[in-house]
Amino acid sequence: MYLPLPSSILPITLALTLLLIGWLGWANERDPESLWAPGDLSQYHAEIGTCTSCHQAFRGPTTAKCVGCHSLQWFADISEATVKEFHQSKIRNGRSCLDCHTEHRGRLGQIVIGETGNPHGEYIFLATGTRSCTDCHAFGSGPGKPTMLLENDLSRSLFAKGSGAHQPGEFADCLQCHVARSQ
Amino acid sequence: MSPPARRTILVAAFVLTAIAGAFTLEQMLSLRPDRPFGHTHMGHLAGWVGLGVISLVFLYSYRKRSTPDRCWPKGWFRVHMAAGVAGPLLILVHAGNHFHALVPILAMLAMGLVVLSGIIGQAVHYLVLRTLHEQRRELAQQGLSEDEIDARLHLMASQEKVFCFWQYLHAPVTVTFLVLVLLHIGGALYFGGF
Repeated sequence: MYLPLPSSILPITLALTLLLIGWLGWANERDPESLWAPGDLSQYHAEIGTCTSCHQAFRGPTTAKCVGCHSLQWFADISEATVKEFHQSKIRNGRSCLDCHTEHRGRLGQIVIGETGNPHGEYIFLATGTRSCTDCHAFGSGPGKPTMLLENDLSRSLFAKGSGAHQPGEFADCLQCHVARSQ
Repeated sequence: MSPPARRTILVAAFVLTAIAGAFTLEQMLSLRPDRPFGHTHMGHLAGWVGLGVISLVFLYSYRKRSTPDRCWPKGWFRVHMAAGVAGPLLILVHAGNHFHALVPILAMLAMGLVVLSGIIGQAVHYLVLRTLHEQRRELAQQGLSEDEIDARLHLMASQEKVFCFWQYLHAPVTVTFLVLVLLHIGGALYFGGF
């Protein structure tokens, strides 16, 4: 049984929808981030005032926009040597910043992709006897790169222990060879 | 427990399970790339496919209005119901339980209202048809003629208008939903790129 709606419904609906669009337009002028952003900006970029500082219309966030602030000179001025060299080479080679970085993950969120998760899996600490990522890694020069591995007693002993199987990059798949035990 | 009550509980359980399942699937799909599934290429694809499935619901509306003199397009109504459930579920997988930007939140709310009012509407029709059928049998047992039965049932059927509040929600909010979806897609393409 189909009972058609009264004819007055259409103009009322259109009027309410136009009202909603007008309100969204007004809100867009006042605070566009609340309308469109998938999350708050991190503490590193929280002071940025406009979306178009990083986003290019219909192209998204672009490396050109990033380098507008984070230039070769900027890295030379404020970064430590490994960070500076790593990023300057990426800029010179025309690599996209979005290969490694992200945003809108919350005020305290990290902006390096993969940094919030443990790429080795949760058993790596148990298997290696370590307690922290920094027992083996130095952060700041890019995620997952061999240059990040610390050359200390621990890493040397782990490489030696693997009899050649423990190579940079192989630790992420430790469960392929090792069986996790319940005790 | 009466059949309508059992049906209501079953539908509510299905709705809640489907919503929880869609959100759980999105969480699982978000684990590996370490970013919300909706921000990945596959997540975008899920959104587009969901929108495509949702657009199938309008075939029923078109058929119903384009040929009003013909009988009710029952087959298209089934497509309408199936697409009206499957499409929004895909959108839930696309969106996940991440609520920050106002435009997609409003679009999601509008979508929820449209789906919920549709489910309520279907339930109302089921109840009315069931009641009419029972009443017809009782009136026939009382010895009333077919004309008398039809007259009384017509009075009952007209009272269905009381329950038709869902219609005032279902179609109008669909317009709002479509406008918000267009804004969401426009905003996503503008800020995220193609």
